Amino acid sequence: MRRLLAILLMLLAAGQARALSYVETPSLAADVAAGKLPPVAERVPSDPAVETGRPGQPGGELRVLIGSPRDTRLLAIIGYARLMAYTPNYDLVPDMLASVDQQDQRVYTLHLRPGHRWSDGAPFTSEDFRYWWEDVANNQMLSPTGPPVALIREGEKPKVEILDPLTVRYSWSEPMPTFLQMLASPTPITIYRPAHYLKQFHVKYADKAKLAALVADSHTRNWAQLHNRMDNPIRNDNPDLPSLDPWVLTTRPPSERFLFVRNPYYYRVDREGRQLPYIDRVNAAVADSKIIPVKVGAGEVDLQSRYLRFDNYTFLKAGEARNGYRVRLWKTGYGSQLALYPNLNFNDPVWRTLLRDVRFRRALSLAIDRHEINNVIYYGLALEAQNTMLPDSPLYDAKNAQAWAQYDPAEAKRLLNEIGLTKRDSEGIRLLPDGRPLQIVVETAGSVAEEGDVLELIRDTWREVGIKLFAKNQQIELMHNRIFSGETMMSIDRGLENGLANAEMDPSALAPTLQNDWEWPRWGQYYETHGMSGEAPDMPMGIELMHLARDWMNATDFEARQLAWKRMLAIHADQVLTIGLCAEVPQPVVVSDQLRNVPEQGVYNFDPGAFFGVYKPDRFWFVPETPADQPS
Amino acid sequence: MFGYIVHRLLVMIPTLLAISLIVFIIIQLPPGDYLSTYMAELQAQGEAVDPQKMAYLREMYGLDRPAWEQYLYWVWGLLHGDMGYSFAYNLPVTQVVGDRLWLTFIVSVTTILFTWIVAFPIGIYSATHQYSWSDYGLTFLGFVGLATPNFLLALVLLYLANTWFGISIGGLMDDKYIGAPWSLAKLVSVLAHLWIPVIVIGTSGTAGMIRRLRANLLDELQKQYVTTARAKGLSPFKTLMKYPLRMSLNPFIADIGTLLPHVISGSAIVSVVLSLPTTGPMLLDALRAQDMYLAGSFLMCMSLLTVVGVFLSDLALAALDPRIRLGGGSSK
Repeated sequence: MRRLLAILLMLLAAGQARALSYVETPSLAADVAAGKLPPVAERVPSDPAVETGRPGQPGGELRVLIGSPRDTRLLAIIGYARLMAYTPNYDLVPDMLASVDQQDQRVYTLHLRPGHRWSDGAPFTSEDFRYWWEDVANNQMLSPTGPPVALIREGEKPKVEILDPLTVRYSWSEPMPTFLQMLASPTPITIYRPAHYLKQFHVKYADKAKLAALVADSHTRNWAQLHNRMDNPIRNDNPDLPSLDPWVLTTRPPSERFLFVRNPYYYRVDREGRQLPYIDRVNAAVADSKIIPVKVGAGEVDLQSRYLRFDNYTFLKAGEARNGYRVRLWKTGYGSQLALYPNLNFNDPVWRTLLRDVRFRRALSLAIDRHEINNVIYYGLALEAQNTMLPDSPLYDAKNAQAWAQYDPAEAKRLLNEIGLTKRDSEGIRLLPDGRPLQIVVETAGSVAEEGDVLELIRDTWREVGIKLFAKNQQIELMHNRIFSGETMMSIDRGLENGLANAEMDPSALAPTLQNDWEWPRWGQYYETHGMSGEAPDMPMGIELMHLARDWMNATDFEARQLAWKRMLAIHADQVLTIGLCAEVPQPVVVSDQLRNVPEQGVYNFDPGAFFGVYKPDRFWFVPETPADQPS
Repeated sequence: MFGYIVHRLLVMIPTLLAISLIVFIIIQLPPGDYLSTYMAELQAQGEAVDPQKMAYLREMYGLDRPAWEQYLYWVWGLLHGDMGYSFAYNLPVTQVVGDRLWLTFIVSVTTILFTWIVAFPIGIYSATHQYSWSDYGLTFLGFVGLATPNFLLALVLLYLANTWFGISIGGLMDDKYIGAPWSLAKLVSVLAHLWIPVIVIGTSGTAGMIRRLRANLLDELQKQYVTTARAKGLSPFKTLMKYPLRMSLNPFIADIGTLLPHVISGSAIVSVVLSLPTTGPMLLDALRAQDMYLAGSFLMCMSLLTVVGVFLSDLALAALDPRIRLGGGSSK
């Protein structure tokens, strides 16, 4: 129903667009008058995307803080100009594309908007798609490993056809349901490139002597390295690279402040014919991440969420009135703020057997007092649940969320006794079958205090059922290597990346497909390396999860997908593969009193969501300040 | 003297080579490399990492080669004035350092001047009024300065500057001047921000210097030539300036060697807290991220400055103090 509504709205919007007369952006009027820019009607696509929300006013500069010069990538994320995009309800709709036709999830025909241009005014056409596929993705020098793995379906590359200047077709012989989602990701597979700009760095097109000079000038090893450096739309660090984003980088790194200026050829307009974005400039100043909350509290930003943490909330709140901003608490989309990951691939055979015993994992989960954690650490604002989907997800099932999540030390003791861990040492700690005490070392990469505090609380309740917990804090790189090599017994980290999924989204995070899944690093490695290293899953549930993930890929209808998802979630809940603690821990979002259109209640999530991206920051606008000395 | 200088210059070469080797080894010591840091960072931001891409990057950056090969590659570049390539910034190291060097220079020189201007009068006063109440009072202040953790002082001053004067927190200028060409307004903004880091970095140095100057002066003031000069009717002030003070300056000249690298590295921790656009935080980041060419080239620069600085201060000492002679080793 929602989808239907979205389509209706789009049709409506398209109908309006034809009747639109465009209004010139004040900050660009001078350039237009001087003949440096064509007038707005010629800058926007002849069939622009129309924002249907309440119109705002153009102008102003948005101040934000970033933690390092590398964070210029954030603007490409929250700008969220994508071929396909998610709506705030997580429906997938064409965004930069005028439309997309698909056939059995195998054949995708992408239609571009006529008259859509790059930020330098060059037309955005299918040539840009061809250039990427033929000359970048399939070029041995630029991509030695070939096109991105995500586009490869069981070893088969897509067939890419350029049908006409505005039409591109991607097709596979098997269903590829994830294709459109990849285009809508916050860090998408960008299947197009500004060919007109990049050709000067490509050996196939560039003048040899000129290219050699460019390579020498830039201290790069060869043209491919130079091309790759110039061409990084995700990293977003080359001010010369034409872009389709709402704001385009104008500062050449390195710098302590990056200025992003409006893209005069942006493809979206509001319903009164004003070209978006409303805000003229984004000013991103670099500050150390630890000082950012202090600077935010002093009112030095207009919009900030990065580097703010829930424990900054009270401090930020105290500065509200004095500095003219409001702190809003948004929900986060992680399956769990923090979850414990028992390592099923742990090297020690005795421990491995125990960790693989579902009764043991359940007992560990039952012996955690989530209510206490919630109240002590999150002021009671979080959701006490397992690491699964959140209530806002259509796949949410209260049964999964509450499975083995109540604090029940008696039941936990009973389970441990049932396993046979009945002997205890003088301290009352249970003993393993080989006589060692039951001491669990939980490794943290804790640069933050939160993990340590949570573990401290768990330590007390585990102690009651006869399990000793040690927290071991170390550098994250070291911890990764230890986990990959099976030296880590248990670790603590964020839960599921996407707790808001619907059945159309890829469920592979629930199956052992990644080395970075810390509950089964070896199995994931096995899948990632196509069996070259790691271990094949050797537990029935691991094998079943892999099958279900494949079923989802092969399914052609919604019901089959939903079935696969639900089954996978149920397995996770029943098997307690990860031990979730609390979810929906609020994220503080600081919004200037002058800034409009930022949702009061939003969801702060990376994928899907792109942080602010789904709320389309190009439509955020500033209420002009009324000068104090003039009666208004 | 000429032979001595040549000898000293030649000794610098093996010294620097040894330093380069040690620097490189230390940077390589922590597990992993830049890419594992990069990978961790991507994951922390919730992004998937394509292992094939990592392998490709590792090859492109030359991180798959053996360590000795990487070392030779780096040293060979250094000899040609090529400081290498920063992985994190995706730029040649020279470009990364850029403007920061100047701002570091401004902060450090101002700090040194501040230290001297405060420390000299106080030191002299303390020494000439030994064991008076004012000496005790100033000594107490000096020790407080020495004992207060710099970063704490920095945070307190930041907060006060913001609430009292409305100066933006951290940084060396208001955000709007960053990247703007130099102008009077920008200079004013820099000056308005400069005093906090200068006071913070300066206090501990000031305290130390007051103590040393006082001790040195006290030694000299006891000596007979002072009594003789006074007996001959030279005014107390002139006596003080002409003889004991000059003698007690030797340690400061000897300090030049360590001052020069200080100018470059700044006070890393304070700079991080104050979020100063100087080179200190950058070095810290580079070391943490194992951005090895950036960190390595940086440390090499500092080593070079130290070696040169020590050499210069030795020369200056020999020139300034007639009592210092080239003895021992070179005349054998």
